[in-house]
Amino acid sequence: MSGVGPIEPGEGTHAWDTHPAEPPAGTPAPPRTPPARLRRLLSDHRRAALAALTTVGLLAACALLYVTRPQEREPAIPEPPFPAQVVDVTYVGEHTVPPGTRPHTLAFEVLLSVDSGPPVTVTRVSQPYAGVSLTSAPRAPFRTKAGSARKIVVTMHVAECGKVPENAGLPFIDVTLRNKRAIQVQSFILGPRYAHDLSRALQVACSNDST
Amino acid sequence: MRQRSLIAITAALSAGALTLTACGSRDSGGDKGSDSGGTTVTIGVDAPLTGDLSALGLGIKNSVDLAAKTANKQKTVDGVTFKIVAKDDQAQPSAGQQNATALVADKTVLGVVGPLNSSVAESMQKVFDDAKLVEVSPANTNPALTQGTDWATTKKRPYTSYFRTATTDAIQGPFAAQYVFNDAKKKKVFVIDDKKTYGAGLAGTFTEEFKKLGGTVVGTEHINPDSKDFSAVATKVKNSGAEAVYYGGEYPQAGPLSKQIKAAGAKIPLIGGDGIYADDFIKLAGATATGDLATSVGAPVEELDSAKEFVANYKAAGYKEAYGAYGGYAYDSAWSIIEAVKKVVDDNGGKLPDDARAKITAATQNVSFDGVTGKVSFDEFGDATNKQLTVYAVENGAWKAVKSGTYSG
Repeated sequence: MSGVGPIEPGEGTHAWDTHPAEPPAGTPAPPRTPPARLRRLLSDHRRAALAALTTVGLLAACALLYVTRPQEREPAIPEPPFPAQVVDVTYVGEHTVPPGTRPHTLAFEVLLSVDSGPPVTVTRVSQPYAGVSLTSAPRAPFRTKAGSARKIVVTMHVAECGKVPENAGLPFIDVTLRNKRAIQVQSFILGPRYAHDLSRALQVACSNDST
Repeated sequence: MRQRSLIAITAALSAGALTLTACGSRDSGGDKGSDSGGTTVTIGVDAPLTGDLSALGLGIKNSVDLAAKTANKQKTVDGVTFKIVAKDDQAQPSAGQQNATALVADKTVLGVVGPLNSSVAESMQKVFDDAKLVEVSPANTNPALTQGTDWATTKKRPYTSYFRTATTDAIQGPFAAQYVFNDAKKKKVFVIDDKKTYGAGLAGTFTEEFKKLGGTVVGTEHINPDSKDFSAVATKVKNSGAEAVYYGGEYPQAGPLSKQIKAAGAKIPLIGGDGIYADDFIKLAGATATGDLATSVGAPVEELDSAKEFVANYKAAGYKEAYGAYGGYAYDSAWSIIEAVKKVVDDNGGKLPDDARAKITAATQNVSFDGVTGKVSFDEFGDATNKQLTVYAVENGAWKAVKSGTYSG
């Protein structure tokens, strides 16, 4: 090569003759230095390069801070409430037993309401006394939507008067509730009016007891 | 040239710094200070802050503090900054009465949360009522405090300035009796109490319902709450043939009592009310506490989404002591006062009126909000309208909810 040409390669040109000759075999390799072009570039534009590098560094730090910033929490979809927290069961009153019903039967009306959340299914209604069986109308399972209430007729049959407390102060019924969140058994203590009506009905049912 | 270089670097640094300022904000909405200026309203707290029951009392104090700080941070009442002043009653009625007098004398106190003990409340009610200063207890369960001494036959509210967020023993005792008789199938119990307002009252409501259900009380005893040696009572329990023990009282005595009853050879559960529903009961009772039972006010915390937020905020606030059995109720008690203050201020053109105490007491009667423990409001007696109860059993060294009930009478 003649060596004639631009000192630095221009656009689209290549300085093929700037490479040193291969050292003879056995000669130790010279220390690695930046290519001459880069050396010249840094030498001639030191200030601009420094400024550019500083800016790039700061931008990188900025990007790092941005990436690692405390994340705004995505608004989590709230879980539906537990069914026992949105269902209320209140006592309405005694219910007349139809003629022809077997003896020792008593019936009451309660109102089940669902305050909010997804629909709630009642899968079981029961009461705690050993000598009494219970059925409900509608028969479980049944579903109630939020914002609505449903009247339930609870019918009890006394099988064994000796195992029935006739004067409980705070009797309750157990209701098994199910929604998308959970299945729960909740005791609903229906208050003194229910206690009074239940006691009176049990005493009537068990008077002249033959069971 | 050097100057030009300096200018270039300075310009780059400035641009970078500005960029960092713009993009690197790490503001996560933290506390920016709670002092909103204007009027300062003090919420008094009375609870046992020292002594055997301090674990519960400190949880109450911290929870009220959290409510005040939350109200300040959220600027719940424009122009009003809440602070608390806490008094230690050491679970003693006389100390409670002195505290009540001191709180009344502090004109910045416009509401009080507390106390823990029903017996202490009895000594404070009249002092507060005379000053028309509202008192909201997170923990008192004796029915007479709101419904009068003849509550079982004729309910009559003795003090219009007294409210509570906890359910009463008129429900708690019978609910426990129903559980013991129907679910746990225990027909013979030995009933013990500590002779105090709370303990004797609770034992009474339990006993009455248990007998009505057909159960038998095979023995009764009273213990001295200052003692820790219950070996004589434990022997009587062992010899009575009881299938369970019902204890009306608090955990500092209930724990050793449970342990000594089992040590005497009676491998039967001890059952109590909210006064024994504390981790310290399990520590005191030891390994043989497994199977012991407690009723407590409210639904289990894990069922209440609002309670989860409270638990997280309490933890974030860094209080040393646990919020305990009444933390959520104390927070709701404080918040009912804050809501009442808000109502009074709003109705008076943004300022507290001269007769603020009387007006805040009246406003508390009508508060209604979704609190930590559910919907918070008060009935005509000052009792919480939200009446939920839970039975807990000791399992693997911890309390576990086994049955919940709602009073809807």
